[in-house]
Amino acid sequence: MTNYNFYNLKIQLFAGSLLILFLLLPNPALAKLNIVSTTTDLAAIAEEVGGSLVEVNFICRGYQDPHYVDPKPSFMRLMNRADLLLYHGLDLEGTWLPQIIEGSRNRKVRFGQMGNLDMSLGIDPILEIPQGIVDRSMGDIHPFGNPHYSMDPVNGMTLADSVAERLSILDPDNEKTYHANADAFKSRVASKLKGWHKKLHDFEGTRIATYHRSWSYFFHRFGLKYLGNIEIRPGILPSPRHLAELSVEMKRRKSKLILNANYYPPKWAELLAKKSGGSVAVLPVHIKGEPQVNTYIELIDYLVDQIADKLSGNAGK
Amino acid sequence: MRPLLLATGLCVFLFAPPEVFAQAPQNPDADLKEFEKLMDQEILENMESEEYEGDKPLGSKALKRLDLMEERLKKVEGMTRQRATTFGTRGNALGATSTGVNRLFNPAISLNALVLGAYRSEGNRKKSGESDHAHGDELSTGLDIQELELNAVAFVDNYLRGVAVLALHDLENIEIEETYVDFVPFQNLSLRAGKYFTPFGRHNLLHTHQFPFIDAPLANIAVLGEEDGVNEIALGLNPILPLPWFSEINFLIMDGRNEELFNSDFSDDLAYLIHSKNLWDLGENTTLELGGSYSFGQNGTSFEDNRTHVVGGDMTLIWSPLNRTRFRSLIWQSEYLAKFKTGPFDPATGFAGPDEDVGGVYTFVQYQIHQRWWIQGRYGFVGLHQDDQGEEDTHRYSALLAFANSEFQAIRLQYNYIDYENSGSRGFDNEHQVLLQLNFTIGSHPAHTY
Repeated sequence: MTNYNFYNLKIQLFAGSLLILFLLLPNPALAKLNIVSTTTDLAAIAEEVGGSLVEVNFICRGYQDPHYVDPKPSFMRLMNRADLLLYHGLDLEGTWLPQIIEGSRNRKVRFGQMGNLDMSLGIDPILEIPQGIVDRSMGDIHPFGNPHYSMDPVNGMTLADSVAERLSILDPDNEKTYHANADAFKSRVASKLKGWHKKLHDFEGTRIATYHRSWSYFFHRFGLKYLGNIEIRPGILPSPRHLAELSVEMKRRKSKLILNANYYPPKWAELLAKKSGGSVAVLPVHIKGEPQVNTYIELIDYLVDQIADKLSGNAGK
Repeated sequence: MRPLLLATGLCVFLFAPPEVFAQAPQNPDADLKEFEKLMDQEILENMESEEYEGDKPLGSKALKRLDLMEERLKKVEGMTRQRATTFGTRGNALGATSTGVNRLFNPAISLNALVLGAYRSEGNRKKSGESDHAHGDELSTGLDIQELELNAVAFVDNYLRGVAVLALHDLENIEIEETYVDFVPFQNLSLRAGKYFTPFGRHNLLHTHQFPFIDAPLANIAVLGEEDGVNEIALGLNPILPLPWFSEINFLIMDGRNEELFNSDFSDDLAYLIHSKNLWDLGENTTLELGGSYSFGQNGTSFEDNRTHVVGGDMTLIWSPLNRTRFRSLIWQSEYLAKFKTGPFDPATGFAGPDEDVGGVYTFVQYQIHQRWWIQGRYGFVGLHQDDQGEEDTHRYSALLAFANSEFQAIRLQYNYIDYENSGSRGFDNEHQVLLQLNFTIGSHPAHTY
């Protein structure tokens, strides 16, 4: 009797497996290419290049720290439908993106596939590549260099080209459209570039304290310099001594500005400002980091305006 | 010995260098003032200039420090800028050698160690002298290396991803905790083959160093076994279902070696497991996960075709504000587990033993109050489905305080109160336990889980 029941059970299991396989049948092909990016910056550029030919989703919100993202299963579901994955690389998403790719069961976006694009490959130069041996005593160091390259508008143009090239491979019928869209985006950025430089020209060489080295590419483009970072090392909270040193250094250098990305608590920056006599600017470092920042150009516009205002001391006027 | 251990543990935890704890206040707002005080002290003592205005000369100490700071700054700014040299992802050529021994393709390796100090009010009694459900037997007053785990992961080739986890227990026994490959044969389906922690509920998936508390929930120990739970040599099919929410099914064919549940050494039968995991986003900061598990197989109670059926249900609510992911989060997780195990039967004598049914639940809350600090509470109960077997219930109440200085280390202090039903008549008392654990990882960054 028991064996008979077990036989029945085996049949049921077999039928169950067939049902599962049926459910796995590929979804009906969608007309639009489905792009998933890790950050809003890459999503915005993909939208510029892909236009109405693509559907773009992103994982990390603009006001979220891209170093630390929970690999939620809902992101795996999102990735499951992707034709193309865009990510910063340089280990920015190294602690969470591999789990999402694995969990997505989507062969198209696995490493080494055409649907997997490490956007750092087109960027030159990569800044702050550590020299010599790297280990954990250096904090959450990025061993391949600073990954916050999308903050340099010239890099933004390069990113548009990278997306256009890859979309042209995945969807060759629309190659011309992708390249035309990328060129249009680049010329819009280029036309703004002069104005951005002009606004920050007077402050070239100015030293600014920041919470994290999120600003390296932006500073590199516009001639600004770090004074120091609130973090002792990447990802390591400040100690009283470290902030004390930084406050004295700010006074000595007559440095008046502290930049705090809006996903880091501002309390240490505020304390540093209090001790050094400087002021804090809590700013978005990604698109959609603030409600008024919805496109790539709006982000750079906003940052240039805010920093120029703070440095010239007329913020709020 | 006991008071000494306890006192030492508490001293380490509570009187660690102020520099460490000053950075990590439990009440950030109140303790920011303390931080500011320490900062003022530093300015005064080390910078030698309380009200530095830029024109007074700085003391030699201060100058030395500032020179050092500028030196560091110059070093970072001077870092060379290179163009990518590899295809696929940007990296350096650290692994290339002229000897032909190329380290580039080595697996990502990490090593985790758990150093444990424990105090039990009931002392280190032998298991045989205790109740059937006096769980926590693996614990003894003293110091121990709870576990040393070596984890290696790499892509095998274009098709497979391989994982191997070796664990050293009691500083003696090396166990192959996991070794498996993953394969995505076609869209929406992944296969896993090898030995691994099967998805029977939430907790069963975890390695010891990932446990939310220092010890496993009572329900998992009583139902799935003290060793590794349902950790089996298995072939698993893991499809994602095309539903409007994340829904995954795991269907596993297992060898059935778990002694507590199956132990199918007597037969050539296999064991089977099916698990359903469903997750909904309740807004962008909160998710709700509901899961159900069922497993069955022949057990080892006799030569007859006796079976064990195991059921489980789990619910997990996670709140993690996106703009403060590293600084605040809340996890509420509950699980129900039960096994229904047919007892021994001897056809020759007609002897039939009682069925070994047991069920339990646990529920815990984990609240991150600061980037480095967690407070947690847990309630566990074992005693369901065993009313007519003369077994007693066990309740356990746990509280935990965790200090995680970085992602790679944590110090955790846990208190357990174990309430054994009718403990007096069973010859022992309810128990207090204090556990202090140091958890550290070296090597490759461990995978984040959700």
